[in-house]
Amino acid sequence: MNNKQQSPFKKFVGIRGMGAALTAFVGLIIIYIAFGIINPAVFSGQNILNLLRSMSKYLLIGIAQSYVLITGNIDLSIGSMVGMSAMITATLMTGGMNPILAIVIALVACLAVGVVNGYLVGKFKLPPFIATLGTMFVARGIAYMVNGNRNTDAIATGVGKDTADTFQNCFYYGKTLGIYNTFWIALIIFVVFFFILSKTRTGRHIYAIGSNVDAAKLSGVNVVSTTVKTYLVSSVCSCVVGLILCAQAGMGNMEAGNMYEMYGVAAGVIGGVSPLGGTGILLGTFAGAAVWQTLENGLNMIGAQVGIQRVVIGVIVVAAVLLDVVVRSGQFGRHKKK
Amino acid sequence: MNKVIVSMDNISKSFPGVKALDHVKFELRSGEVMALLGENGAGKSTLMKILSGVYTRDEGTMEIFGKSYEDLTPKQAQAAGVAIIHQELNMCRHLTVAENMFLGREIKGGISLNNSKMQKEAKKILDDLHIDISPDQVVGDLPVSKQQMVEIAKALSINARILIMDEPTSSLTAKEIDDLFRIIRKLRDEGRGIVYISHRLEELSHIVDRVTIMRDGQYITSGNFKDMTMDEIIRNMVGREIKEKFPRVECEKGKKIFEVKNLNAGKMVRDINFSLYEGEIVGFAGLMGAGRTETTRAIFGVDPKDSGEIYVDGKQIQISCPMDAIRNGVVLAPEDRKKDGLCTKLSIRQNLALPNLDLVCSKMGVVNSAKENALCEKAVKDLQIKTPNVEIDSGNLSGGNQQKVVVGKWLARDSRVVIFDEPTRGIDVGAKVEIYNLMNDLKKQGIAVMFVSSEMPEVMGIADRIIVMCDGRITGEVMAKEASQDEILTMATAFENKGIQSN
Repeated sequence: MNNKQQSPFKKFVGIRGMGAALTAFVGLIIIYIAFGIINPAVFSGQNILNLLRSMSKYLLIGIAQSYVLITGNIDLSIGSMVGMSAMITATLMTGGMNPILAIVIALVACLAVGVVNGYLVGKFKLPPFIATLGTMFVARGIAYMVNGNRNTDAIATGVGKDTADTFQNCFYYGKTLGIYNTFWIALIIFVVFFFILSKTRTGRHIYAIGSNVDAAKLSGVNVVSTTVKTYLVSSVCSCVVGLILCAQAGMGNMEAGNMYEMYGVAAGVIGGVSPLGGTGILLGTFAGAAVWQTLENGLNMIGAQVGIQRVVIGVIVVAAVLLDVVVRSGQFGRHKKK
Repeated sequence: MNKVIVSMDNISKSFPGVKALDHVKFELRSGEVMALLGENGAGKSTLMKILSGVYTRDEGTMEIFGKSYEDLTPKQAQAAGVAIIHQELNMCRHLTVAENMFLGREIKGGISLNNSKMQKEAKKILDDLHIDISPDQVVGDLPVSKQQMVEIAKALSINARILIMDEPTSSLTAKEIDDLFRIIRKLRDEGRGIVYISHRLEELSHIVDRVTIMRDGQYITSGNFKDMTMDEIIRNMVGREIKEKFPRVECEKGKKIFEVKNLNAGKMVRDINFSLYEGEIVGFAGLMGAGRTETTRAIFGVDPKDSGEIYVDGKQIQISCPMDAIRNGVVLAPEDRKKDGLCTKLSIRQNLALPNLDLVCSKMGVVNSAKENALCEKAVKDLQIKTPNVEIDSGNLSGGNQQKVVVGKWLARDSRVVIFDEPTRGIDVGAKVEIYNLMNDLKKQGIAVMFVSSEMPEVMGIADRIIVMCDGRITGEVMAKEASQDEILTMATAFENKGIQSN
């Protein structure tokens, strides 16, 4: 069992968390093919493009929630930050502001929520469920207030049609190399945060805190700043999702991103991120987000109604975790002979 | 001769990749205390988990009170009268003593609970044992020693005839240990069989009737304790002769490296002054709760200081968090390895690298795998950590190897001061000697070593100078060679309220 003699493939599979991620990918392929058999339109090029575009949102919030979950915390304010970002950007743009400046302001607002979350949890040791429940309401409240408790008009009314089109194409309708920009944006963010989590010091600190916060602290890890960083990652991703929703609708919707924090948990958990902290990789989250979107898309394509869609998705989330628990307890508990 | 109540024969058990038990036999008679001895990973816990139904054996036969069992479940084991008092106590901290004792088999009066009856029965059992605990106290408020008593009382309340005690004394004070032994003797005299697992060989003579020794998952020998010498027992446990239980290395005492002046931090760290010199190990002796751990934590910046100055190599340094301490070359291997020392869900590699990421990362904070692997391979080799590779979960290692990882984290750096807090707790004789040798190596390299330990023989055997603490204060200092155990004990019990003044 010498490390150095392992083949690259074995080494790849041996990465911790890879097992769960690969399982999710296998599940993804099975689900996709199953839907395709029922309705071949699932395999069409346009559908694949749509799939990639709509999974991008789930991928981004999945990343957001995974970062926080791996430290053993949770961020309930993700959906509200999405709404806040969409509303701030749209309101400012309908007022005629330059889109880039509007985006920067929305980002700053989301980061502010992240900093509050991070300090409440990391520094003041509030239970993350409570702390982010509070900021969830506050951020949603701000999303309502920015345009006086109503949705915005079309952004084109403020910045003009050309600028509005550029903005909307950039985040939603436009394509680069034949694939929607939305997916490229999500992919770039994914690669960056994947790298940070798996290859950098900060990433190691995140896992260490999730596994044992006392030991991490005694090893010289700055728990407060690392916790704040995870919530900032969550803010950045949420903000981008808000921009995507704003670009898609061409306006700001106060309810944008409702429930997204839970979709983020689902994407992470399907991909093997443990809500107890310390385990999981973003590749799993990628697979989880894809599974989620494929289910939604596939159920739509075969004509299932919304109610059924919800039921199926709920069952899949629990089944994924149940599978994980069964596999693990089999390994440690009831093993008889090899 | 008392009758045999447990008889296990030819027991084998494998886990993926490991043969934990290899045709082991074990026998327990009524009215005896049987010590089950062996190094970490010898298979003692696995064997006892089979006896209590937690694990299923792969092969072998097992009889409890003459009845043979094929597949024993935990519930059957309990019904047969087997109870384990765990090393890590299994109590619901927020419930009361009585609620814990009757957990899962509450007495009902109609549809509601009959609390007064449960309280009364709990009280009766506690009184029988002469334990001074009220049944309506919340368990989390009790000291560990009392919690353990509650667990024993709980076992008796379900009429356990076979009690398995796993390291029951590891976190008790001398007085509490006496109390526990009194109870164990009482239970033995009532005809119960007691399996006693402990790494503290010196305490065996107070309590044990017979011993069974295991090594590497195999049965080695058993016999009457009185017929065996301690050397024989150790040789059988370790499989080789341990020449010196406390290897000492002589070094020239050099210049002053580390100094603590007027350190205060809460009630348990009061006006602490001491210095560490090159080429010496300074032992910190005292009773459990004397404030030694608190002192190390205050120095290392885990807990806030009220006042005090710290000097390394004559230069004053500010430590307000562990990071500051590490940067200034002061490191701490903490007392409770599961709680403070290890990320048990992470690999050995990740644990070893955690405090050393500054050494293996680029300026941008990207981990250099080659450097990291080199650092880990070196640590595993230097410390002789027994593991197939560095990718397995550190939580799956045996206690001794876990401790080596905790220590190994800090040896990759050029530190000036290494603080060990109870580094040998719960680990076996062989691993202890390896930890001592490690400290001796540091001493030879001119690194200041602060060695906190509650085991009097090892402090006297390994340290060059001994500082004694009591009740948050330093109550004395002696050279190890000139010290007697009585002298240290006197200083360790120099409580202020007894009117005894420190020097």
